[in-house]
Amino acid sequence: MLPETYKSELKDRLQKVGNPREMVVDVMLEVQEFYGWFSDEALEQAAVLLGMSSLEIEELATFYNTIYRQPVGKFVIHVCDSVICWMENGYGELIDHIGKKLGIGMGETTPDGLFSLLPACCIGYCDHAPAIMINKTVYGDIAPAKMDEIIETLRQEK
Amino acid sequence: MPKLIIDNREIEVPEGIKVIEAADRAGIYIPRFCYYAELGAVGACRICAVKFVDGPVKGIEMSCMINAQDGMVVSTTDPEARDFRRHVIEWLMMNHPHDCPVCDEGGHCLLQDLTESCDHGIRRYKGKKRTYVDQYLGPLIQHEENRCIQCYRCSRYYQEFAGYKDLGVMGIAQRIYFGRYAAGVLESPFSGNIIDLCPTGVYTDKPSRYTGRRWDYERVPGICINCSLGCHITVSARYREIVYLEGRYSGKVNGSFICDRGRYGFFYANLEERPRQGRVRGEDVPSGRAITMAAQRVKEVSESHGAAAIAVIGSGRSSLETIAALTHVCKVQGWRGPVLFDSRVSSESVRTAVSCIAQELAVSMKEIESADFILTVGADPINEAPMLAMAMRQAWRKGAGVAAIDCRSLDWPFQFEQVTAAPDDMADFLAALENSETTVISDRFVAQIKSIAAKIRACHRPVVVCGTEITDSKIIYGAAGFVKAMRQAGQEAGLFYTLPAANSYGAALLDEIGETAEDLIERIESGEIKALVIVESDLWDTFSDRQRLIQALEQLELLVVADFMATEILHRADIIIPTLSIFEAGGIYVNQEGRAQWSPPAYAGGTPIKITGQGGHPPRIIRPDIPAGDISPAWRMAWWLADRQPPASHDLLLDWMGKTFPVLEKAANFTSEGIRLYLPEARRKTARETGGRKIQSLGEYLLLPVAAVFGDEPMAQRSPCLEGYAKHPEMWMAASDARLFDASDGDAARLQLPYGPLELTLRLSERIAPGTLIVYRCPDLFWQQFARSSRFIVPKDRIRIEKKA
Ligand code: SF4
Ligand code: SF4
Ligand code: FES
Repeated sequence: MLPETYKSELKDRLQKVGNPREMVVDVMLEVQEFYGWFSDEALEQAAVLLGMSSLEIEELATFYNTIYRQPVGKFVIHVCDSVICWMENGYGELIDHIGKKLGIGMGETTPDGLFSLLPACCIGYCDHAPAIMINKTVYGDIAPAKMDEIIETLRQEK
Repeated sequence: MPKLIIDNREIEVPEGIKVIEAADRAGIYIPRFCYYAELGAVGACRICAVKFVDGPVKGIEMSCMINAQDGMVVSTTDPEARDFRRHVIEWLMMNHPHDCPVCDEGGHCLLQDLTESCDHGIRRYKGKKRTYVDQYLGPLIQHEENRCIQCYRCSRYYQEFAGYKDLGVMGIAQRIYFGRYAAGVLESPFSGNIIDLCPTGVYTDKPSRYTGRRWDYERVPGICINCSLGCHITVSARYREIVYLEGRYSGKVNGSFICDRGRYGFFYANLEERPRQGRVRGEDVPSGRAITMAAQRVKEVSESHGAAAIAVIGSGRSSLETIAALTHVCKVQGWRGPVLFDSRVSSESVRTAVSCIAQELAVSMKEIESADFILTVGADPINEAPMLAMAMRQAWRKGAGVAAIDCRSLDWPFQFEQVTAAPDDMADFLAALENSETTVISDRFVAQIKSIAAKIRACHRPVVVCGTEITDSKIIYGAAGFVKAMRQAGQEAGLFYTLPAANSYGAALLDEIGETAEDLIERIESGEIKALVIVESDLWDTFSDRQRLIQALEQLELLVVADFMATEILHRADIIIPTLSIFEAGGIYVNQEGRAQWSPPAYAGGTPIKITGQGGHPPRIIRPDIPAGDISPAWRMAWWLADRQPPASHDLLLDWMGKTFPVLEKAANFTSEGIRLYLPEARRKTARETGGRKIQSLGEYLLLPVAAVFGDEPMAQRSPCLEGYAKHPEMWMAASDARLFDASDGDAARLQLPYGPLELTLRLSERIAPGTLIVYRCPDLFWQQFARSSRFIVPKDRIRIEKKA
């Protein structure tokens, strides 16, 4: 269950905006933050808070790729899967490398619950292709060595 | 008006319509998936591509996205356009299963047709197809998501057009999924339209699943008789039963869509228990024999007690032909009746409404969509006349305001403002709106009424929708008076009533007296009436005092019941005569705006093969006739009962009707949109009559049974697939009253009524008028005992509340 303080604080914020729908994305992200992923329970509570049907929330939740309707690891690696990154030399090998390094395929989570790997349709960092995004941080000019370094740093950080 | 050329044909079309619609008008069909006239254009599927050869637009464009403009030259057959469409259909077919033979849409599938006509015959895609898990959507609709081509018709219809939020589109790209958040029964009472809308087999009709292909069916246009609106339908019949109904376009009544009550309300015609033979004192006889014997017995009663000892009851679910025949026969024989109304109140209300409807005041349902303000008085469209709610929603979507004067907690799929008024106060509120005379209403409401009055004054095309179930004749007159006043003030105001049954209007046209079943029962009790002929009506279901009814029936020397449904009253009849349903006999029904519409027969009648074959192969008995094919329409039977000869054909019957009843003079000249019939000036009521006595004093509650979309209407109530849709017994109470009982929502309410106790779940709302208790009619409840004819008052000490555990 969401904390009552959050609910009442949200109620105030919703009252200030003209239409609660304007805040759907914010609410989905905040509720996801609390649960770690956007579970059915999270979704249903968001629906109640926003006065929308569960379906309406699901329509949006399944549209956006940073709303996770399944459990994800602590660090979600979104690998750009779009045309500019594809054009970069060594893109294919890089993808294989990340998979091997973590021991998982696209859409999977490492058994220790640290990393999930997801394809993303362009993260807007094309001038530094190939690019990835981990949680809210964007990394560019990725090569296998740099990727290893990032992963190791995050492992330390956990 | 722009003039353009499409495929070498020059046409002139109204400003603002799309090229695809212009082509439709010229009789040129352009392929389409996402475009649907009533949903508008979104340009999502790309199959409607045409080539603009000359004029203001050039090249390949989507015909559903471009307005028809002067000087356009359009080709739908241009090789480039055809090639474009061939590619579009190819990619739409990429994931689509290749199994038309096992798909229930096959044979009437738009995707099948357009794949063929756009010239995509051989699949080149070799990859895997995306597949989905289907959902259970309830007993009416089968879901097969693999067949989806992402046209968005269903989600746009369901959410935007109809206003319900439990079906839509989820996911993105290859994962796109049309359905619900979780499997479950669809919530909208207009859900069946997605079957008609979906261009492929994602949603198909569940009750008729795998019964045949469209070309197997006898398909005819028809009129829905499950409420007073008379929506247009297409009827499909096979093997002597109705298979399914679809919405059929009407530019005056329903547009393209219908409600689920109408779509699934036909099963009474197929049921095994339906009377298909005559029965005389417990013995089966051919139906013709039952008629002759009934005629004989009626004659005997007439000889021994006089013609006035015979009474006839009909109802608003009979065709105009039957009502006219009964009216005529009663008149020439000197029999009493036909009584066409259940109670004094409903007789008064319906006849008042019909007498108020005049050519210049009446608006059609379709016209409501262009109203700029709608005021309802004692009307609950969703439950009384479902498609009216859809028409109102379309007006609201275009910006119309909606205000309701009502005592119920109304729940409509659009925003509206409710003035919560007790039934006895509604007339005052209406008057206050009309002449800003606010002294008669409680101070609490003055500001609200003034604000609504100002909104109504500011608009051009206001419509007043007035119910006839919980209103009295004063309110019904009041609604017409208000509309007249607005018209005098220069507004194009319109009037729209809802009536209790499909042919209530027809009944009121022919019934000059307005006698009711109550009146007849009194005469049976006094010994005046000795024989009763009940035609397509069920006193058992409509008369409130069952004990009294039973005693009265026992006093009769003869009870003849003729019906196409297995009603309760049938079991008490001395003679049962089967009649034909609308699907077999056809019939004229006059809807609530006075539109007489002809619904032709869909098949010849007879016991369904499913029944004669007991589910297996039809019996191989060679016989020249159809089993139970000897049943007559009730109008013929009426003449025979009087030992007279009916007109020899339906055409002659129509001729005769026009000549015999001046009000039906035009009835034989039908167009597909029907013809409007109005009472002549001389027969209109003039004086404002008052309704029932005012009852409310403190500590008394008015118990009001009200209409429910499912489980209430006598025909649709018999559909097995709709069983789960009826409401559970609930009693709604004003939140302020609940405080007196210290009651909360969900508690059990126990009422001590003269016929025994009644158990209901208590529901609370701020929008129930204090002093009123609302009960939605449902089969699990003996609501007849407090039917409104008696203005049922419950003293406070008869109400017990038990806290829920
Ligand atoms: S389910 Fe049918 S109507 Fe809905 S988007 Fe798919 S094809 Fe279109
Ligand atoms: S609104 Fe009435 S007439 Fe129309 S389909 Fe529904 S029940 Fe039939
Ligand atoms: S019908 Fe025009 S794009 Fe779909």
